[in-house]
Amino acid sequence: MRFNPSLTSRLRIGFLVLFALLLLVSLLGVGRLFQVRVNYEDDITRSFQLELESERLQSAFILEQAAARPATGQSLPNQAELNRAAANFAEAVARARDLTGGDDELSADLSQLAANEAAWRQKVAQPLVNGKLPPPGVEGTRTKAVTTSGEKLANASSDLRDASRDHARTETRNTTLLVAAGLAGALLAALILFSGLINSMRAPLGRLVEGARRLAGGDLRTRVEVGGPVEIATLGRAFNEMANSLERDARERDRVERMKDDFVLTVSHELRTPVTVVKGFAEMLTAQRQSLNPRQYEAAEVIAESSAQLQKMINDLLDLARSDAGKLRIEPTPTDVASLVQRVGRQMRPHFEERQQSLAVTVEKDLPDVEADPDRIAQVLANLLTNANKYSNEGAEVRLAATRVGDEVEFAVADNGPGLGEEELNHVFDRFWRAQSGETQEVGGTGLGLAIAKSLVELHGGAISANSTQGEGATFRFVLPIATDGQETRTDSASRTTAGAAT
Amino acid sequence: MTRLLVADDSETVLLMLQRRLEIEGYEVVTARDGFEALERLGEAGAQDPDVILLDAMMPNMSGIEVLEQLRDSGSKIPVLMISAHLDAAEPDRMRSLGASDAIPKPFEWEDLIGKIEELAGNPAPAADGDAA
Repeated sequence: MRFNPSLTSRLRIGFLVLFALLLLVSLLGVGRLFQVRVNYEDDITRSFQLELESERLQSAFILEQAAARPATGQSLPNQAELNRAAANFAEAVARARDLTGGDDELSADLSQLAANEAAWRQKVAQPLVNGKLPPPGVEGTRTKAVTTSGEKLANASSDLRDASRDHARTETRNTTLLVAAGLAGALLAALILFSGLINSMRAPLGRLVEGARRLAGGDLRTRVEVGGPVEIATLGRAFNEMANSLERDARERDRVERMKDDFVLTVSHELRTPVTVVKGFAEMLTAQRQSLNPRQYEAAEVIAESSAQLQKMINDLLDLARSDAGKLRIEPTPTDVASLVQRVGRQMRPHFEERQQSLAVTVEKDLPDVEADPDRIAQVLANLLTNANKYSNEGAEVRLAATRVGDEVEFAVADNGPGLGEEELNHVFDRFWRAQSGETQEVGGTGLGLAIAKSLVELHGGAISANSTQGEGATFRFVLPIATDGQETRTDSASRTTAGAAT
Repeated sequence: MTRLLVADDSETVLLMLQRRLEIEGYEVVTARDGFEALERLGEAGAQDPDVILLDAMMPNMSGIEVLEQLRDSGSKIPVLMISAHLDAAEPDRMRSLGASDAIPKPFEWEDLIGKIEELAGNPAPAADGDAA
C-alpha cells in the first residue's frame, strides 16, 4: 500500500518538522555562542594572569640582581638571599608554566627566560657570591638576555589576549551567520514542504474543478482521476459516484422519454387509419343529403366534423411526437414571403368572414426571401391565425404582417380580442394548454397548435414569442432567417395588400 | 368511364375508397397488397386502368415495389402514390422513383379527386359538386 497521509497529518508532520528544525538550529547556535563566550573569558583571564606573572618574573629577577650585589657594609653578597630570590623566580616560572595552557610559543618563551636566568645565575651571580667579578661584558650581556626574554613573555601574553579577543569576535560572527543560515535553511525546507503539499492538492483539485465544469456543461460521462491527499481522493471518489448516478438517471430518463415518444408515435399512427375511414364514410354520407332524413344527415355531419377534428389532433400529436423524437424534418428553401403570407391569408379568409372579423394582410415592400419550408411556415401562420380567429370576438380585427428586422423577417399576427394575462402568457406554448376566459369555453381545438408552431419555428432556427395586454388583444411574433443565396430584392408589385373587412 | 386500380392493406380504408370513388363515377378495382395489385393488372382480358392508386406501405409487397416493377416492365400507366409520411421531401422521393404524383395521408377528398382527374387526363376537374 502506498503511503498517502491525510491532509491534516501532512500539515501536522510539516509543522512538527519545521518546529524541530528551528529548535535544533536555535539550541545549537545558543550553545555555540555560550561556548565561545566561556572560551573567551578563560583566555582573557589566562592572558591577564600570564601578563601579571611575567611582571612578577621581572620583579623576581630584579630581586635576584639585588641579592647578587653585596649589601651595605658587607664584602660579599648573601648566598642565602640569592637562593631565596632564585626560588622565588622558579616559583613564578612554575606558576607561569601552568598558565601557558600548552601554548608552544609561550612555553618556549618561558623556557628561554628560565634558561637565561639560570645562565645569568651561573655566569654572573655565582661568581659574585664567590667574591669574583664576572668577566667584563658578561654581566651586561646575561642581564640583558634575561630582561629581553622577560619582556618577550610579557608581549606574548598581551598578544595572546588580543588574539583570543579576535578569535572570540570571529567565532561569534561565524556562529551568528551559521545560525542565520540554519534558520533560513529550516524555513526554506518548510517552504518546500508546504509548497509540495499545495502541489499535491493542486492537480487533483484542478481535475475536480475541470470535471465539475464538464459535468455542468452536460457531459455526463465525465469522471475524474482519483488522487492526492486522502481527503481530496475521497472527494474525487464521491464526485465519480455522483457522476455515475447522474448518468444512470439521465439514461433512465432518456429511455422512458423515448418509450413515451415511441408510444405516442405508434398510437397516433394506429389511430389514423380508423379515423380516416370514419371521416371518409361520414363525408360520403353528408354528400348524399338527399337520400338521408334530416336527423340522419345531422348525425352524419356531426360524425364528419368530429372525425375531422380527431384527425387534426392526431396529426398534431404526430408532428409533436416526431419533433420530440427528432424525426420532424423540414426542407428549407429560399421562400418568397409575400406569396406565402398571401396564400395563407386567402386560405384562412373564409373562417374570418364566418365570424364577421376583418383580416388585414400587410407585407413590407422588397422583402428578401426567407430560408424556410413553405408548407411548414404556412402551417405555423395558419395555427396563429386560427387562434386569433377562434379566441377573438365576432367583429374583431386581425392583422397579419411581415416586416424586415435586421437580418431576419418578422411575422406578426395581432388581434384585438380578449388578450392573455401574464400567467397565461407563460403557458401559451405549453401542450394541451388552452385559454380559460369565458368567451373561449366553446372553442374547440387540440391545444397543440402553438406548441407545434414553436417546434416548427425553432426547427427553422427562428424564435417565437407572445405578448399581450389583458383586454386589448394579443400579438404573436416569430422571426425567420433571410435566405443567404436568395434574391435580396425581389420586387413584387402586389407585395403590400390590405384586405378590407369581410362584413 | 375512368378506370382505377386501388391498392391498400386496410380493408376498411379500401372499402371506403372504393365506395366513395364509385360515387364519384369511377370504375374501381381493388387490391389488398402489391402481389394482388400486379395480379389484377396481369389478369387475362382485363383492361389496363387509367390511374393506379398505391399505398406506399403495405405488407408482403409494398406500393414502392409495385411501382418499381411496373416501371421496369415499361408500363406507362399513371401511378398516384399514397404516402404515409408527412415529410415535405416524401412526394419528391416518390416522383423520383417513377410515380406520376403523390399525396400524403391523411388527405382531403377534393385533393385526391383533383390529382386523379389530372392523371386521368380529364381536363376539367369535376371537384365542385361534392361535400360541404
